[in-house]
Amino acid sequence: MTVKPTDDDAVKPTDGGSSSVDGSRTDGGQMFSQAEITEVTRTQRYQEWFAESIAEPFRIAWSDWRTKVGLLIIAGFLLMGLVAWISSSTWFVLERIVLVDSPIANQGSPRLQPLEDMSHPLGTDMNGRDLISGVVHATPTMIQMILAGAVFAIVVAVIVGTVAGYKGGTTETVLMTASDVAMTIPGLPLVIVLVVLIEPQSPWLIGIIITINVWAGIARTIHSQVLSLRENSYVEASRTMGIGTPTIIQKDILPNLMPYVLVNFVYASRRVIYDSVALYFLGFLSFRGVENWGVMMHLAYANASALLNPEATYMLIVPMLPIVVLSFGLMLFAQGTDRLFSPRVRTRNEGKSNTDETDEPDPMTGV
Amino acid sequence: MSMHESTTDRDLYQTADPIVEIRDAEVVFEMDRGVSRVLESADLDIERNEILGIVGESGSGKSMLASAMLDAVVEPGILSGQITYHPDERESVDVLELDDRELKKLRWEDISMVFQGAMSSFNPTMNVGGHFTETLDAHNYDVEAGMNRARELLSDLYLEPERVLEAYPHELSGGMKQRALIALSVVLEPDVLVMDEPTAALDLLMQRSILSLLEKLKEKYDLTLVFITHDLPLVAELADRMAVMYAFQLVEIGPTEEILEHAAHPYTRALLNATPNLDAPLSEMRPIDGSAPDPVDVPAGCSYHPRCPLADDTCVATDPDYHGVSESHGVACHHWAHAAEEIPFNVDAAEATTGGNQR
Amino acid sequence: MNWFIKRTGQAIFTLWAVATLSFGLIRLMPGGAADIMASRLQQQAQGSNIPREQLREMVASQLNVDPDAPIHEAYYQYMSALVQGDFGNSIRYGGQEVNAIIADTLPWTLFLMSLSTLGMFAIALSLGAIMAYKEGSTFDLANTGVGILLSSIPYYVAAVVFIAFLGYRTPLFPVRGRYPSGVDPGFTVEFIGGAFHHAMLPALSFIVTGYGLLALTMRGNSIQVLGEDYVRVARLRGLPDRRIALRYVGRNAVLPLYTSLLISIGFMFGGSIILEILFQYRGIGFEMNEGIIYRDMPLMMGTFLVITFGVVIALWIGDATYGKLDPRIKSGDDSEAY
Repeated sequence: MTVKPTDDDAVKPTDGGSSSVDGSRTDGGQMFSQAEITEVTRTQRYQEWFAESIAEPFRIAWSDWRTKVGLLIIAGFLLMGLVAWISSSTWFVLERIVLVDSPIANQGSPRLQPLEDMSHPLGTDMNGRDLISGVVHATPTMIQMILAGAVFAIVVAVIVGTVAGYKGGTTETVLMTASDVAMTIPGLPLVIVLVVLIEPQSPWLIGIIITINVWAGIARTIHSQVLSLRENSYVEASRTMGIGTPTIIQKDILPNLMPYVLVNFVYASRRVIYDSVALYFLGFLSFRGVENWGVMMHLAYANASALLNPEATYMLIVPMLPIVVLSFGLMLFAQGTDRLFSPRVRTRNEGKSNTDETDEPDPMTGV
Repeated sequence: MSMHESTTDRDLYQTADPIVEIRDAEVVFEMDRGVSRVLESADLDIERNEILGIVGESGSGKSMLASAMLDAVVEPGILSGQITYHPDERESVDVLELDDRELKKLRWEDISMVFQGAMSSFNPTMNVGGHFTETLDAHNYDVEAGMNRARELLSDLYLEPERVLEAYPHELSGGMKQRALIALSVVLEPDVLVMDEPTAALDLLMQRSILSLLEKLKEKYDLTLVFITHDLPLVAELADRMAVMYAFQLVEIGPTEEILEHAAHPYTRALLNATPNLDAPLSEMRPIDGSAPDPVDVPAGCSYHPRCPLADDTCVATDPDYHGVSESHGVACHHWAHAAEEIPFNVDAAEATTGGNQR
Repeated sequence: MNWFIKRTGQAIFTLWAVATLSFGLIRLMPGGAADIMASRLQQQAQGSNIPREQLREMVASQLNVDPDAPIHEAYYQYMSALVQGDFGNSIRYGGQEVNAIIADTLPWTLFLMSLSTLGMFAIALSLGAIMAYKEGSTFDLANTGVGILLSSIPYYVAAVVFIAFLGYRTPLFPVRGRYPSGVDPGFTVEFIGGAFHHAMLPALSFIVTGYGLLALTMRGNSIQVLGEDYVRVARLRGLPDRRIALRYVGRNAVLPLYTSLLISIGFMFGGSIILEILFQYRGIGFEMNEGIIYRDMPLMMGTFLVITFGVVIALWIGDATYGKLDPRIKSGDDSEAY
């Protein structure tokens, strides 16, 4: 009959439920701030949302060396794309600015080894195309493919995942079965068949074809995430207050999906890079110029027999480098942001501690 | 109320026939921001065949005290001090001096423990019976005899032995898991059973029924029980003696009834006042102001002084010794003699807790 | 059981969906397979104009899709041929039945995949577990770094490097073919040893680039399990370290990876196309490429279907057996049985 406050927090007078103290209290903390938000203006709300969902995670992620290096690599890659775009732009101001020449035949003597002629530091291919030019000028199309593919996959996944999670019933069954089916079809063979039959040229279209069934796996993750969010007390609170489903999805659900969206965006990008290069490399996609690192590899492989001929191996290695470096950057970024998923890791790595943690020691440190 | 003058603190936590003696036990964690002292010079005797309740709020170091008895403090915590186990018929054992093999024998065979979080104390991919057989096996016990004992234990705890032994952990309810875990912890017939918040995750009804089962179990198997909880009324009902912890120190020790009636530490009194009671109007409930200290930065002097209404310069300057309230009742407070006047019980706490529970 | 039926139904539905998709690609797409095929036959005839009727029949017999029949009839024809295991006849191999070609090449792809999968999981699981036990050590950090770095290399890039350096520069491994030429297939040391030798580089391409992420996942799972209460209690109960490592940490950390295993099978089956081309390894992916190069629609679609079916069936078997490994799945949703 007499009930002692059984919750740990109740015994010690709480200090306003500051969720920063205790990782395990994240939900309570969110509930608290969400309840407040409904009272404040839209601007404040977005400010808060920004602080909670963008600024704070970013700060945490940035504190990890992996994220830092990853982001720098990605930024370098975007910069390379910008350089190529400026160099090839015909827009009046930019027309005369050429930072890196476009890769055309007989730019230099053919088959220059790297470092042989310093005007072509990484050498030239058998047609005298500068390899650096090739690498740089293939970047904008790669960015287009990544954007198209990753955005397509994520958008479809978020729509399918949230709608299925929220509507429930038949809609959910249909959407999730469709995801399961799409997920079990092996991606690459399907992509190859489609590419061979459609013969796409536009990088946007190629990007979308490559991620034609990538969305399915992501949709599954998001779906289960939505299901668990839906049960959260603050979402329930919003529902009880009579707030409509679209609003709840927009205000309560989507912001919380951000980390998943981010990480899956990275993995989808990696997939686009791998597969697009492979498709060009093996000649499944036709090409006109050197529009992809895979094209350079294909030329080296098919026309210069770079595998057999040690003298030509560099033609294969040079275009492979940006692929590896970029995907390394993406992987680091994804690994570094991993901790955003786990509030426990989050507090632990910030060096914050609390009495609970020392009393009942953190299991992560083991026995 | 008898008023002994400040005695040498020896007598106060000593008992006639202790089964475990804890002297000057200390646990420290080296952390980035400093040394975290999560158990400070704890002295405590556990009397043979008693039920000792250790009460404290979460983060007061009580789990550390529990782990210390089995030398099972989690890494990177460092335990120092002296812990002596006095078995019935064998020679006394210095727990912290044992080698790995001896320690393995001591744990579970002599002193056993039920952890906080029974829900996760079973391997989810192994059935409950497997846990029993592997434990018996690891300690070279006769498995068949041991399993018979396990079945008896389970039915003593009102479980169906065969069904529970065959079940996987996820197939059992919280209360069933908790009881199965208790059975598992006494299957090697230990003398002492230490329980760390064994009922925390259970509903009220289940808490009560487990308590009464524990009392039965204690009688039948001659156990000494150490019951660690934040739930004061819970121990009040069960324990012979109580020890109150605050900020990683034991601040008051004494027989349960005496503490309930004549609690001498301001913290204990505040704790009793903070106990919700359906009989008492809500307005009379007093939360304790302030918050528990950080283990890295415990206040100088008496660690309770920032929250204590009785605190004065002495409290800020010096850490209080134990004072004897009665022969078996000790308290670490400079102003213990005035605590009762200054912090009156809002209802008769003793009556409220015990009376309320018996209903 | 209910779940099993549901899962089986889903697998069958997927097979049907893929078959329909492939019919759609052949029949419905503008400039789709049927048209490509017709024009190709026309070209082969070199000038002499084949009558439309004859062309239609040739296409129909080889593709199992009659371009001129009403769509539902054509669909029925196609599906019933598929159900009977008839994938049409290959143009590339002079009218040879596609399923004969598949029967010859599929085992080799399966062999290559099993080798890669086993190798990759053996390395990743043990490495990940050791890393978890030594969390924070130099060994752990170094392997994390190397793992991420290697995972950033596409498997075909690894293949190219292997061919160039371990195949040609330092000829340690053969770079083309399935077994040494001049050795007759059979249970002989030369043949089996040779087959392994030939499969080594392609398998390594998968393993080297794939183990890293898996090891990191295993590491993460193990660290999580090592922190679980039941491991701590098991230690206090005095269980031998070996038992804790295998029965407690190992089992609970590996189980969630089962899904990864299934996904990686799908991934490798798909990726085998590229590796088989690079290594001139006559597996099913190699034949799919042949079908593409020679515009041999029956071969291309037949191999595509078999690869897809293979993955769907593998996933189905995997899901169905998972319950045997993890007791929590068996009872399905009712988590408290009584």
